[in-house]
Amino acid sequence: MMVSQEDKEKIDKLVEKHETDPGPLISILQEVQETFGYLPKDILIYLSRKLRISESKIWGIVTFYTQFYLEPRGKNTVRVCLGTACHVKGARKILDRLKKILGIQPGETTKDLNFSLETVRCLGTCFLAPVVMVNQDYFGKLTPDRIEKIINQYRKD
Amino acid sequence: MAKFSKIEELEAYREYLLEKRCTEKKRVRICMTGCRAFGAQEIKDKLIEEIEASGLSKKVEVVPTGCQGFCARAPVMVIDPDDIFYQQVTPSDVKEIVSQTLVKGKLIERLLYKEPLSNKPIPHTADVPFYKEQVKIVLRRCGKIDPTRIDDYLINEGYRGFERIFKEKFSSQRVIDEIKASGLRGRGGAGFPTGLKWQFTKDSSGTPKFIICNADEGDPGAFMDRAILEGDPHSVIEGMLIAGYAIGAREGYVYVRAEYPIAVEHLKVALSQAREYGIIGENILGTGFSFNIRIKQGAGAFVCGEETALIASVEGRRGMPRPRPPFPAQSGLWGKPTCINNVETLANIPYIMLKGAKEFAKLGTRDSKGTKIFALAGKVKNTGLVEVPIGTSLRKVVFDIGGGPPAGRKFKAVQIGGPSGGCVPERYLDLPIDYDSLKKIGAIMGSGGMVVMDDNTCMVDIARFFLEFVQDESCGKCVPCRVGTKRMLEILVRITRGEGKPEDIQLLEELARVVKSASLCGLGQTAPNPVLSTLAYFKDEYRAHVEDKFCPACSCENLFVSPCQNVCPVGIDIPGYIELISQEKFSEALEVIKKRNPFPAICGRVCHHPCELKCRRGEIDEPVAINALKRFVSDYAREKIKPRVHLSTPSKKEKIAIIGSGPAGLTCAHYLARWGYSVTIFEALPATGGMLRVGIPDYRLPKSILEEEIFSSVESLGVSIKTGVKIGKDITFNELFNLGYSCIFIAVGCHVSRKLNIPGEEIKGVLDGVAFLKAINLGQHQKLGSKVVVVGGGNVAIDAARSALRLGTDEVIILYRRSPQEMPAIESEVEAAKHEGVKFHYLATPIKILSSNGKIKGLECVRMRLGGYDESGRRRPVPIPGSEFFLSADSIISAIGQMADTSFLPSSVKKTDWGTIWVNPGTLATSKEGVFAGGDAVSGPATVIEAIASGEKAAISIDRYLKGEPLERLPEVRKKYFELTDLIEVEPSPEKRVKMPCLSLKERKKGFKEIELGLSKEEALKEAKRCLRCDIEKMRGGS
Repeated sequence: MMVSQEDKEKIDKLVEKHETDPGPLISILQEVQETFGYLPKDILIYLSRKLRISESKIWGIVTFYTQFYLEPRGKNTVRVCLGTACHVKGARKILDRLKKILGIQPGETTKDLNFSLETVRCLGTCFLAPVVMVNQDYFGKLTPDRIEKIINQYRKD
Repeated sequence: MAKFSKIEELEAYREYLLEKRCTEKKRVRICMTGCRAFGAQEIKDKLIEEIEASGLSKKVEVVPTGCQGFCARAPVMVIDPDDIFYQQVTPSDVKEIVSQTLVKGKLIERLLYKEPLSNKPIPHTADVPFYKEQVKIVLRRCGKIDPTRIDDYLINEGYRGFERIFKEKFSSQRVIDEIKASGLRGRGGAGFPTGLKWQFTKDSSGTPKFIICNADEGDPGAFMDRAILEGDPHSVIEGMLIAGYAIGAREGYVYVRAEYPIAVEHLKVALSQAREYGIIGENILGTGFSFNIRIKQGAGAFVCGEETALIASVEGRRGMPRPRPPFPAQSGLWGKPTCINNVETLANIPYIMLKGAKEFAKLGTRDSKGTKIFALAGKVKNTGLVEVPIGTSLRKVVFDIGGGPPAGRKFKAVQIGGPSGGCVPERYLDLPIDYDSLKKIGAIMGSGGMVVMDDNTCMVDIARFFLEFVQDESCGKCVPCRVGTKRMLEILVRITRGEGKPEDIQLLEELARVVKSASLCGLGQTAPNPVLSTLAYFKDEYRAHVEDKFCPACSCENLFVSPCQNVCPVGIDIPGYIELISQEKFSEALEVIKKRNPFPAICGRVCHHPCELKCRRGEIDEPVAINALKRFVSDYAREKIKPRVHLSTPSKKEKIAIIGSGPAGLTCAHYLARWGYSVTIFEALPATGGMLRVGIPDYRLPKSILEEEIFSSVESLGVSIKTGVKIGKDITFNELFNLGYSCIFIAVGCHVSRKLNIPGEEIKGVLDGVAFLKAINLGQHQKLGSKVVVVGGGNVAIDAARSALRLGTDEVIILYRRSPQEMPAIESEVEAAKHEGVKFHYLATPIKILSSNGKIKGLECVRMRLGGYDESGRRRPVPIPGSEFFLSADSIISAIGQMADTSFLPSSVKKTDWGTIWVNPGTLATSKEGVFAGGDAVSGPATVIEAIASGEKAAISIDRYLKGEPLERLPEVRKKYFELTDLIEVEPSPEKRVKMPCLSLKERKKGFKEIELGLSKEEALKEAKRCLRCDIEKMRGGS
């Protein structure tokens, strides 16, 4: 896959924005991901040439931080918090149920590209424990049955 | 709005805002951050709509705020100026709030917070215990102002600390001196003095210099930085401005984690407003000082909270730490001097600059000044954000403010400081929290996350959880952290799966010490802390997992089927028999119980049922009435089915002697006889049953039930019981071997009362609790007079008091030296005693018994207070000098504990320092060949079901001994005994727990008739359907 002219322009614009920013690589990658939904390999190669930063260095960063994705993402991102408070309040059971009903493991995306399942270390909403974030919405004090109902709601929408 | 070019202009503008502010207007403050998850947005929209519709727009203002702290009650709302606190508000309440409270000024009771004990509504925030006990410095604006409006910040002392520097012409050094004098220490975890850090950065050569605000709040369980950024972002900006001025920096970064979208949004808004007002930028307010702030968003790496890793990440590299020195103050961002402060630290700065170091230092301890915010979460009623002066006790935070663990659960530990911290057990709850005290007990202040854990939390699992965390987040640069944590995690996983080896605990400890001392950065150096602290305080739990394959908390999935079965000392398949009851298969249900417990009718009446305490249904409403169901099937079978009792005779030639016919002895006899041995029980008393007969009064366990079950489960199997034969008097212990017994099981119980050891104890009328109950149970007459005082807080004390009441006394008082929480008696028995009219005097103890002419007049007592913790984990009572008082009494019953009478044993049977018989805990073998011991004589006074478990264990050991097999057995995970044939999941019934029908109070006083009447068939069927069937969930492999 080549990078289309249109995409190149998009990327050039993003890079330009960070001209005065020292050490902009992570910020640029974040914005590229926001634009494309994930970080396609060809775009990373293009970026490497553009920024004159070696591909291996970019690869090193992309694989170090958990928030960069190299694969296409689902329409909905389901984040299960596995922080301490959620753990003691049974987050494991919530995750088990999600794995079962979505049929995927954490880090994977459903075949229909509807859901991506992730685990996070702490969402900083411990008072809601156990908590799951679907896209930008928080769902707290969950039970396995409740999360199933919530997911079904997103399936319909 | 034009830029302000002079400080005076900003001041004038603030004055203008203050004047313009309409104090008549009501302000409805709604949390729009954490409470969003509970529909705060909809409530706000509806509220605005409703206010407009009612024409109140000019009189009422809706203020969206940051976190108000009391997250457990979300969504929360406060109506000012009346300070009305509404909690758990729903959109459907909005109409009423407007029409009743805002228009008419009437309170809506259902939305008010209720005092947990009295259920009394508390209308005002200031009176709610959660808020009342806090001291808010950093959070004083959070939840009060609209964080997206700089004007709200300005009129609440905003930017006045910064202004003061220029108005009073502070040099940068003077600012640093002020911070030093305040005693402020870094709130990010390590507690390094902030002023000193600033000084180092200021004194470093090299320009430019940088300020970085560390908002990479990655510790699971901490969310105060998020709350500050979301609820009061300008306080952080002001703190950075002051820091920048002090160290000579022109540029600052906020490194904020990407998981906090609202924080980023609010910070961006705040920065653009501050820029617009000329508060950040070039030549700020005409002072000549210039400062700019950029936001850098993290990309998800816990290690970036470490300062050198954070710098690498800001520079756009992999966030890997490097060795220090050089410290960032010398060589930080782009190799330039850099000061990194945490969000909460920076939010303290404006307050110190405005009020002065002296005012700030009024709060806190000698070495740690000011307040600290704690994020309270986990198994605690009032989760949320709590700000208290440093040095406040953990007890105050967890219990007074946090409300303690949820109803029915027992506090176990509080985890402080996230993955770098430790678990603090109950005995340290009174410790004043500061950086140094926490370090001493193996925890750290860390960022201030406090996760409360209760008896359902497994401490080994918690250690595994944190290790998994650090192992996952280890950057991989240094070997001790990368490989060491991996090996530690493997061991912990093994232990929690029940595959732990005996040497694992020691290996784990060794590895922990190596990783701690050899890792490169803070992450690795502190990673073993959760393991080390749980090993220090909860080693028994580790041992239980390794040696007994038992998880006491019912958390490690591989080690049990259902929580109720797991904690039952004999491991009855409880969900199995409850299922059979619900199918009306009562005989089959009884068979399931009898597989593990030969005395269901007895236990169905007197068991302390630890199963019900662990019942998961209890977390929804109330636990299933397991014990009542057990009693029901055994009674039903006896009355309706009348099972035929088969008489059998021994098939094996070996003879076994059992000393004592209490539950331990009877159970041991039951199993040995079933396996064909010839068993004789020697009982010193004239009747069988031990404490079941002479300790437990008839109103709890009728003699007929006891006798019937002893016959059907013991005597019918061919066991011979010789009553009235006291070993040591009628036959010597050693003689038993001569009589042809190949094995002896000692189960003599604890029948000797401990002495009060106070003057006057020898006077007639001072009775010993056990002897008193024994006499009643053996039908001897007791004269007590009209007023009886029982001393003690155990089950014997309660039984004695309730028996005394039935003997026609007018008044019975129980005197207990600790508080109700520490009382060892079964809670339901205490409740029943109170219900029947027994009075309780807590925190008092007798010091002298007074008499005249050999007749008791009463007791001289002293009041006690609770001091530090003793080895039993309870708080030690300490007498209060000068608090002596007199309590009149006609009789006094002393029931402060019992001991075993082991005087008949030869010296070859070793005893413990406690006077109990020493045994190998795994096999119950004593120090003498062929002699085993169990029950209370080994454990000290315990429960019936524990004695039954011990009787079975002894029987197994004796059987193995006689067969010449090794006594040690490998522990097994408890299994289901009743196999499910079909797994149709039935939705558990929503009904409340059935109430046990009881005898009326009037009837009870007449004598010793059984109080609890048992469930009817209909009640039992209904109750059985309440079971959540945790076993099915398990057998299906997770939820």
